[in-house]
Amino acid sequence: MDNLNIGRHISGQFNEDLERVINHVMQMGGLVEKQLSDALTSVHESDEELAKIVHQSDYKINNLEVSIDDECTRIIAKRQPAAGDLRLIMAIVKTIADLERIGDEAEKIAEVTLQSLSNEHRGLLMNLDNLGRKVLEVLQKTLDAFTRMDVDAAIKTHGSDDTIDREYEALMRQLMTYMMEEPRSIPQIMTVIWSARALERIGDRCQNICEYIIYFVKGKVVRHTSIEDVKKL
Amino acid sequence: MITVSPQNILDSQNKLDLANMSPEQKALDIHNLNLFYGEKQALQNITMAIPKGQVTAFIGPSGCGKSTLLRCINRMNDLVDSCHIEGEINLHGQNIYDKHVDVAALRRKVGMVFQRPNPFPKSIYENVIYGLRIMGENNRRVLDEAVENSLKAAALWNEVKDRLHDSALGLSGGQQQRLVIARAIAIEPEVLLLDEPTSALDPISTLTIEELINDLKQQFTVVIVTHNMQQAARVSDQTAFMYMGDLIEYSDTNTLFTTPVKKKTEDYITGRYG
Repeated sequence: MDNLNIGRHISGQFNEDLERVINHVMQMGGLVEKQLSDALTSVHESDEELAKIVHQSDYKINNLEVSIDDECTRIIAKRQPAAGDLRLIMAIVKTIADLERIGDEAEKIAEVTLQSLSNEHRGLLMNLDNLGRKVLEVLQKTLDAFTRMDVDAAIKTHGSDDTIDREYEALMRQLMTYMMEEPRSIPQIMTVIWSARALERIGDRCQNICEYIIYFVKGKVVRHTSIEDVKKL
Repeated sequence: MITVSPQNILDSQNKLDLANMSPEQKALDIHNLNLFYGEKQALQNITMAIPKGQVTAFIGPSGCGKSTLLRCINRMNDLVDSCHIEGEINLHGQNIYDKHVDVAALRRKVGMVFQRPNPFPKSIYENVIYGLRIMGENNRRVLDEAVENSLKAAALWNEVKDRLHDSALGLSGGQQQRLVIARAIAIEPEVLLLDEPTSALDPISTLTIEELINDLKQQFTVVIVTHNMQQAARVSDQTAFMYMGDLIEYSDTNTLFTTPVKKKTEDYITGRYG
């Protein structure tokens, strides 16, 4: 939190407002991480109960998103933040939108558990689990970089989305082959494809959050910029 | 993979390169300006160019030298005995501190409005034409026209057109300040200096004056000193941040308030301890 440098305002109230909103973002990040982790576990262990819990817990994330959004609006109205403070608020508003969507994706993944897959298709879920673990790791690193507003970690994590994309494409090829060989299994495989797609999207959203961290710290917009150019920062 | 970095295509305003303006773009060119009050140095090596037809704001904590710098532009500091100035301020390539410069003529070109409205205890009409009368203008038609134009430009005409010969002291604070602005622009200066023009006014009058400043830049170069940072952010095209007599950062207002380069600037505009 040192990089945030929020504790030095002349207005102690402003310090408190910012600290509170950042704590809420971290709380939201923690919830999202748990949702994804639970969703993956539910798929891996065919734990339908856990999948239901994931499904029922998404509202907590949604509520936090609405609350943090409100807090940020109030800070803008009352404090007219400038420079780093302004960039922080903008970064938070965008980050929570992406976190909320990650929560939705986690819910979609958990739904796979609730679809009864026959035993012969269970093997497909193994590959999904590999991709899932990688995405979870990227999410953890992203949240970690956000907590410390660590721009180096953000740039590094931003780059790791490439690995996820490659893994996702490999899984897609595998699933496609499977569908060609066994058209009867297409409905089940589609379920797996939707989950893989959800995981790939989570990777993209983590990349977005890394871009907001870079924007906050460096004041530079790196959206729609190639990974090579981001690394040059 | 597209490697072109994204750009803000909606920002149509062509940014001025403040460090490399052509002589035609500059209204004022301040060069190595040092100012001393007795032994104490109040301005240190200020070098900056103020663009024509735009609003430039000076911000900074109390005692940073922003008002002193503003006063240098129409030689108000000449009135302070212990004040000693080195360096140049060029208006159209002419150094205003040159020995041959007629200070009264300079002040006709560089008008000034102060923090507290200071109308003369005369009628509204006489207040506006005060400068013109001193310059020897007595033609009634010219004076009438000047009153109407100046009051319109100062967004006061509609409120006072039926009582031009009433005392100016009967106007509200916000109206008085606009009257003073009308008086300053009646003699058609090139540069208008505003020294905290709204700090004694209520929020609505403040907004009226801010709106007025935006209109004024069509005709004049405006330089404003303000304690209110949000005001600088709202009304100015360029902002200069000063601290303890130094010019710390000078850039276009959008950049200075979102991504300042210097840490001191960042600390000041975000309300942190320096």
